[in-house]
Amino acid sequence: MTATIAIVDYGLGNLTSVAGAVERLGFLPRLAADPAALETADKFILPGVGAFGDGMAELHRRGLADALNRLVLGAGRPILGICLGAQLLARGSAEFGDHRGLGWLDAEVVRIDPADTNLRVPHVGWNELRRKRDSVLFKNVPDDALFYYVHSFHICGDRDVITGETDYGGPVTATVEKGRIYGTQFHPEKSQRHGLTVLRNFLEEG
Amino acid sequence: MLRKRLVTVLTFNDGVLFRTKDFLPDYRYTLNFVDAWSVDEIVVLDVTRPGSGQRANFLEVVRRFAGKCFVPLAAGGGLRHLDDVREMMGIGADKVVVNSAAIRRPEFITEIARAYGAQCVVVCIDARKRAEGGYEVFADFASSPTGLTPENWAQEAVRRGAGEILIQAVDRDGSLEGYDLELCRAVADAVDVPVLILGGAGQWQHFVEGFREARASAVCTQNIYHFTETAIKSAKTFLTKAGIEIRP
Repeated sequence: MTATIAIVDYGLGNLTSVAGAVERLGFLPRLAADPAALETADKFILPGVGAFGDGMAELHRRGLADALNRLVLGAGRPILGICLGAQLLARGSAEFGDHRGLGWLDAEVVRIDPADTNLRVPHVGWNELRRKRDSVLFKNVPDDALFYYVHSFHICGDRDVITGETDYGGPVTATVEKGRIYGTQFHPEKSQRHGLTVLRNFLEEG
Repeated sequence: MLRKRLVTVLTFNDGVLFRTKDFLPDYRYTLNFVDAWSVDEIVVLDVTRPGSGQRANFLEVVRRFAGKCFVPLAAGGGLRHLDDVREMMGIGADKVVVNSAAIRRPEFITEIARAYGAQCVVVCIDARKRAEGGYEVFADFASSPTGLTPENWAQEAVRRGAGEILIQAVDRDGSLEGYDLELCRAVADAVDVPVLILGGAGQWQHFVEGFREARASAVCTQNIYHFTETAIKSAKTFLTKAGIEIRP
């Protein structure tokens, strides 16, 4: 049976592209806006266009944060956070004030601060992935693969959870992983062929 | 290293692709046509004049692009309230492009940035050269003078939360004579967010000038005349040979 993939709908993320990509890869995407819709899914994707504070507030208001805590931390079901969705896995963020995240990763979300002042923030566009650790997400992804980023903040913290970086006037976190909790700062659903490969890796082996 | 971007801007009138050059409909477009390109980003703009079409037709365009094209998608045209933005993001846009509504109500930029993050807000500035020198920002399909200079308006937009500025030289639109480098350079020097240059590209060398002389982070073209599958590849080969770091 094909695995059911719940795309967590907290009112801010870009769900259409993620659902389109999941479908293209032969899986069943299901938008999940309440805890009941999460229960029956095999894996979760926490997509990501939005501001950290609003995102967390909506996850709590819809009861999704508690449900995810139970299903991911408790039952060990895999989750992939994308962009803001990856940042929400951290302890907290300083974007527009101080906000607490899901706290699954020993990390904080901080503003990108390129050493080269000619580099503009947000970091927008295609940039290379530099692997720091092996990950199932990288299977069949060439070393010089480019992925699409659009963000002003990134995840900073415990070196053990950072599996990949990109360079933007210094290292910027690209991918994080802890057990079956995965996150990509880039948008796999917007990164053409290599992005779809990363997504496929999560769906098939994550 | 972050690559420079080649962005395709597509304008739609009541859901039909229009070449802005002569405001004629172009029915050649299909989604496959876009998906096959190595374009780095797509911007879709609704240029339907108020009262002359169905908004639903443009929303359907956005939905189709979002579901089928796995490249970044920015959508704009006619966005006035946060609800309009929410609708656009809900159907698959990664970013929104705002123009006249932000001029009339600059706090609109902040509202979007607070809800979706600054990286989600692209402020499009339509500018025309003034007879007495310098440039002026125009609103409402580039028809209403605002008294604002592009540099000052860009700075205010960034202060209020804009993540990128799309600077369009209205008089160059469709001219193919090259970008207005002076205009873009002035804006790029005034702000520290990425600036996208639009209006006037007619040959690949114009892209090089946009990056080198105007300090653009992305070069845009609207004239889909160029954009066959081989055209983007040809442009990218040209840029690579010219020493511009671009995604192949």
